[in-house]
Amino acid sequence: MKTYLKLNNDVLNRYSSTGQLELEKDREATRRYFLEYVNVRLRYFIDVEEKIRYLVDEGYYEKEFIELYDMDFIKKLYKKAYDYNFRFPSFMSASKFYDSYALKSRDGEEILEKYEDRIVIIALYLAQGDKSLAERAVEAMMEAYQPATPTALNSGKRARGELVSCFKLSMDDSMNSIAENIGYCLELSRLGGGVGVNLTDLRPLGDPIKGILNRASGVIPVAKLLENAFSYSNQLGQRNGSGVVYLNIFHGDIENFISSKKPNADDKIRLATLSTGIIIPSIFFELMKRDKDIVLFSPYDIYREYGKRMSEISISEMYYELLDNPNIRKIKRLNARRLYTEVKKAQFESGYPFEIFDDNVNDVHPLKNIGRVKMSNLCTEILQVQETSVITDQGEPNEYGLDVSCNLGSIDIHAASKADDFGQLVDTAMRLLTNVSQMTYIQNVPSIAKANQIMHSVGLGAMNLHGHLVTQGILYGSKDSIDFMDCFMEAMNYYSLKTSMEIAKERGETFHRFEESEYASGAYFKQYVEKEEKELSPVVLNALGKVPVITKQMWQNLKEEVMKHGLFHSYRLAIAPTGSISYIRSCTASIAPCTERVEVRDYADSRTIYPMPHLNNDNAHLYVEAYDVNAYDLIDLYAAAQKHVDQGISMTLYVTDAWTTEQLAKIYIYAWSRGIKSVYYVRQRLQTLEECVACQI
Amino acid sequence: MSNLVYEAVNWNKPTSELAQIFWDQQWKQIWFPEEIAVSKDIKQWQSFEHQETYKKVFAGLTLLDTVQTNIGMNQIATYATDLQEKAVFTVFGAFEAIHAKSYSYIFTTLCTNSEIDELFEWVKKNEYLQYKASKISDIYNSIEEGNAESLWKAMFSSVMLESFLFYSGFFYPLYLGGQGILRNSAEVISLILRDESIHGVAVGFFAQNLFKQFSTEKQDELKVWGYELLLDLYHNEMAYTDDVYAETGLSPEVKSYVRYNANKALMNVGFDPMFPEEEVNPIVMNGIRNEGSTYDFFSQKGSTYAKAKVAPITDDTFNFGERK
Ligand SMILES: [Fe+2]
Ligand SMILES: [Fe+2]
Repeated sequence: MKTYLKLNNDVLNRYSSTGQLELEKDREATRRYFLEYVNVRLRYFIDVEEKIRYLVDEGYYEKEFIELYDMDFIKKLYKKAYDYNFRFPSFMSASKFYDSYALKSRDGEEILEKYEDRIVIIALYLAQGDKSLAERAVEAMMEAYQPATPTALNSGKRARGELVSCFKLSMDDSMNSIAENIGYCLELSRLGGGVGVNLTDLRPLGDPIKGILNRASGVIPVAKLLENAFSYSNQLGQRNGSGVVYLNIFHGDIENFISSKKPNADDKIRLATLSTGIIIPSIFFELMKRDKDIVLFSPYDIYREYGKRMSEISISEMYYELLDNPNIRKIKRLNARRLYTEVKKAQFESGYPFEIFDDNVNDVHPLKNIGRVKMSNLCTEILQVQETSVITDQGEPNEYGLDVSCNLGSIDIHAASKADDFGQLVDTAMRLLTNVSQMTYIQNVPSIAKANQIMHSVGLGAMNLHGHLVTQGILYGSKDSIDFMDCFMEAMNYYSLKTSMEIAKERGETFHRFEESEYASGAYFKQYVEKEEKELSPVVLNALGKVPVITKQMWQNLKEEVMKHGLFHSYRLAIAPTGSISYIRSCTASIAPCTERVEVRDYADSRTIYPMPHLNNDNAHLYVEAYDVNAYDLIDLYAAAQKHVDQGISMTLYVTDAWTTEQLAKIYIYAWSRGIKSVYYVRQRLQTLEECVACQI
Repeated sequence: MSNLVYEAVNWNKPTSELAQIFWDQQWKQIWFPEEIAVSKDIKQWQSFEHQETYKKVFAGLTLLDTVQTNIGMNQIATYATDLQEKAVFTVFGAFEAIHAKSYSYIFTTLCTNSEIDELFEWVKKNEYLQYKASKISDIYNSIEEGNAESLWKAMFSSVMLESFLFYSGFFYPLYLGGQGILRNSAEVISLILRDESIHGVAVGFFAQNLFKQFSTEKQDELKVWGYELLLDLYHNEMAYTDDVYAETGLSPEVKSYVRYNANKALMNVGFDPMFPEEEVNPIVMNGIRNEGSTYDFFSQKGSTYAKAKVAPITDDTFNFGERK
């Protein structure tokens, strides 16, 4: 029995039985963990030089990036990192780091890196010889910046996976494209990625093939093929390959698609491991409001009639045109309210499907003149334009379109409020993300490689919102919390634009077709240069700390510079759910409320107990758990952030089993009405028997 | 043709307090072993040191769930008088069958056929296991029509089985699972445990209602009977624990967990606990609290999804006037 596990578990056990937090138990667990586990496995090196030499010679580190720097500089950088006197604030953070992120010997016995070592290597690797960036990277990462898992984990290692792990693919309505995309999915899950595939353009079940009706099998069998492709490369059983498929709610196959995740679904349509998401245009909500039927269409008809794929048109704009056109078959009529109730039922029973609000995404899309955003990724925060590739027969050249790979990173909101120079922090983060994007080349998926080379998209996000609010005495979901979020994300938006403009200026290069974007026309900045500058309460100002409040004038200046020099990145911001990566830094996840004050996390390796950061016996009331946060307040908070985020925010909704499908529908409709772009999971807390009986016995 | 009048169960008006609640809660928790990827444990299993203990623990649990399916819930359902309660017991019985089958699912995944055959032979030969199975079954089989006392005794025994005797077995997978060892099998156990805790509370609750109807003298007499039965089973359980957990060094910890649960079983039937409070391994204690445990996005199924309560979308759904 490992004593540190017992001590760590005792924190929850005591908390559940007495309501008192005994954090010293967690500190003792951390201390013991070092004594009993880490220190005995840690390989001893005389000095930095010997460490680097050994790890390069033994083939653990790539040699090329080390050689870009002189040893004196490297030593200086290690000293800089170690001078922070970093200590893991919780058992969770320490064990998560040493279990999953630290470099270990090939037999798994020796630990070869401490936390600071990993940070320095990431900095050296991503800075690519730029000493000043490397120094700033160490500062940023020791203070408030966290690269996403694949980057944090793989940087500098010789035997490494990819630095990015998030991809989107568009499938076309042809056998060639289906086969090609399945190949891509195999390849991308081999690289450890999560992949989103858009199925909206495939003809539905019963559609004609070569003019003969009732031949097509529809989207579900394709989804099943994808599911199998993903589980084939399951990273040696470490985790199931992860993929998500998206379908427009007006697509002829929507009913089966919605039911496919239900645990009791027919085996022919059941998707066990593949995630699902639906694209919902605003017209659907409008028809539902008026209690109308909706009509389902076939992308096959749409393409024949208009020369465009279903995902390439706005259903909201085209709906009545499609209804009136006799060449467009009305595949089926369904009552919108009843259909949406089915969606809610599926979500209660399985958590799926995710929802993307098509017009909320595309109406404010700064690249709307370049193309539509048709779908999202596995966590619903990546929302970027795509262009479908045309896959031809063997021997003929394919016409590659644009697909998406995205690399992510997060700013720790609490630490950022204390950082000396917020603008510089965001600048460093953006430059590191930019380098990751430049260093990524997914050779076997040409549409992704091509987009990466010309679009330079990244996704900077944020985490530890709830943790920070607790330190400031602000209740999650309150007006102050919403004002804070609004200002904070506005500042992130401002500085990320500024850096993107500066990089464009330095390199004399913008993203592909910048001139057609709303950045170039200046339309994007309207919301800012005409904004109403509101009075902020002292509590909010205090919570912002050193994060500047951005004025109209600052926006006006930036607008002019952007219009003049352009932007390097087609997309900059996206707020990911940040799972394990936030635990290492002892942050709360993303901008979400905590789910439990003392959280239980089951990992492949063990069950770990994680008291929320800064939680103590006096502020526990501020850590309102997600299921107790008013869902409308939560949505308002996300809506405040969403205004400033060019892509999406992964938003989970929390309900209990006391909720009805109607109540669930209502909060989704509210989210749509507030301009939210996407909803990720619905998580449900089952009442325990104690809760439902206790009051009655 | 007999002259018996057959009465139909009418759920439109409650005839039994809480029957509906227990019914709902049980169905909400429906699960099937195949939903848990026990095969992910195979790798750890191959190098697992105490395979014998682990297998025996599960074989022992299989026997208890078999008794509970074939005799326990069946008998209680037959002789309970309230039609809604009968229905609840029948549903509980169905879940017992799922439990009993789920151990086989784990065996099939981890063990060879000959190992499995041996285990089932071991069950037939282990004196302590046979003792508790026959002790409890005898009480189940002694229920008499119209004899409330005999029914109460059966319910009391059922609570002892489900809230107390199971736990010498549950300990091991919870203890290991909390440390990341054979976690998927532990997940199956935590789902079984979640059911057993409803059963213990529900049967205990119905038993208490029955108990209230007895005269004070009868109550005193039954109390003595109850504590004696518990002590008898307790001694057998201690010996069983020593036998099964030999060589793991865990016996003392298992025993305190068993005492902790014996107290809970007594409280379920409305009796005072009899063992002094003592420290139970926190990892095992946390093993039970899986309800809120954070959903693992890569696992195939969280234990937290259930049936939806359907209500139609109306015009009011679009009105956010008084939303807060
Ligand atoms: Fe059972
Ligand atoms: Fe049971």
